[in-house]
Amino acid sequence: MNYDPDKVWPSGLTIGEAEELHRHIIDGTRVFGFIAVLAHILAYVYTPWFG
Amino acid sequence: MNRISQKAMQGWASLGPRFLPFADVATEDLPLSRLLRLSLFQVSVGMALVLLIGTLNRVMIVELAVPASLVGVMIALPIVFAPFRALIGFKSDVHTSALGWRRVPFIWRGTMLQFGGLAVMPFALLVLAGQGQAATAPVWIGYVGAGIAFLLVGAGLHMVQTVGLALATDLAPVEDQPKVVGLMYVMLLAGMIVSALVFGQALEDFSPGRLIQVIQASAVATLVLNVLALWKMEARTRRPADVKTEAPDFSRSWDVLIRSGNAKRRLAVVGLGTLGFGMADVLLEPYGGQVLALSVADTTKLTAVLALGSLLGFAWASRVLGRGFDPLLMAGYGALLGVPGFIAICLAAPLAWPLLFVGGTALIGFGAGLFGHGTLTATMQLAPREQIGLALGTWGAVQATTAGIGIAAGSVLRDIILALPIGSRFGAATPYLSVYVLEILFLIAALAVIAPLLRRPQPSLSAS
Repeated sequence: MNYDPDKVWPSGLTIGEAEELHRHIIDGTRVFGFIAVLAHILAYVYTPWFG
Repeated sequence: MNRISQKAMQGWASLGPRFLPFADVATEDLPLSRLLRLSLFQVSVGMALVLLIGTLNRVMIVELAVPASLVGVMIALPIVFAPFRALIGFKSDVHTSALGWRRVPFIWRGTMLQFGGLAVMPFALLVLAGQGQAATAPVWIGYVGAGIAFLLVGAGLHMVQTVGLALATDLAPVEDQPKVVGLMYVMLLAGMIVSALVFGQALEDFSPGRLIQVIQASAVATLVLNVLALWKMEARTRRPADVKTEAPDFSRSWDVLIRSGNAKRRLAVVGLGTLGFGMADVLLEPYGGQVLALSVADTTKLTAVLALGSLLGFAWASRVLGRGFDPLLMAGYGALLGVPGFIAICLAAPLAWPLLFVGGTALIGFGAGLFGHGTLTATMQLAPREQIGLALGTWGAVQATTAGIGIAAGSVLRDIILALPIGSRFGAATPYLSVYVLEILFLIAALAVIAPLLRRPQPSLSAS
């Protein structure tokens, strides 16, 4: 395997690639956070404390 | 760095790519197994469509006793996103990414939205129906929750389908494109049929808990299918990060696309033909039941006959177009076959001959198959290489919007004509026959628009 000075080990990604993946993870967490909050609100309205 | 950690590092590096969703080498040929795997995204789209239009439509009205007009509004919400397909496709064309991906980020985002919408959906529906403690809560919570859930699923499925088809076009060499289109359509239909059967079976003895299980299971299935479809599919293009290419803006790209290869005319054909074929979808079963007095089991089989006709159409179109037949001519044949199909259905009522009705339905399915296959293949083949996403997005925007309008218009027109004073001049069949005649007119209009395109040979086709 060629040595590439841009790559950061142990993942073998370049800084730019790693930042892009990170952005996807942050975006995904935000979206799922919003969805989870919404689902919890609706589930609470449907059965408060599963009563 | 000592020798052991260096060895370990090399080990990781050689192990790594196998567990990452990258395809570093672009392969020239596209084996069928890979194509089948890619087409799994269409199964998830089909599943979401059946859930929205079929299963939840029924469940909300029958089991949850939600007013039919409210159900209609909720189900129509995803169509709001259909016109944005062109924009999504364009965005995926010009997407710059350090990872060298154009399509994958969009399919992934679409998958997330669809998953999220389906995850929230069952609770939203239960609150909308005022089940459990929700009856004491303000009504708007149900409206907003269900609205967001339907919008999320709609946005997700439009995004996944648009960019997925663009990815398929990227991957397939021109001579394989008819095969790819056929497979995509077949998998969409297969996803719809299989999930309709599974949903029906799973919701046989309905309970709120079972509804939550079924819809959330479909959310997980969406995620699994789409990740399987994406895995190592798109090759990474390596562009030097410091060279920033100026991204063209949407309106300029749009102008270029709309002027190339009679694009406007082709889009008009797609719209008219889809309207012509689409309005009957929801009317075939009630027509068979009310006018021809077929039983519920028989009318359900009608839908199967329609699907079977479409499958035959896709298969035949794939074969013939694969040999270099003009896809627009194929679309024209499809629309042409639809006309006698609808005439047969119209004549079935006065002749009281159900077999003619079944034959007409099969012919319409076959014609719709040829038409859909022909227009999509033409779009793929005529799309400029750097505008594939935009071209397919535009096709999808027109197709999905008119299909949605067709479904809505079919049932609305029937109700309006039924309420008119002349609503039953020709017996119970009057409103249905009016809609069928309207569809014939739409198909003839599509034929009139497509005709000038057929005389001239397509230069870009003969070049390949």
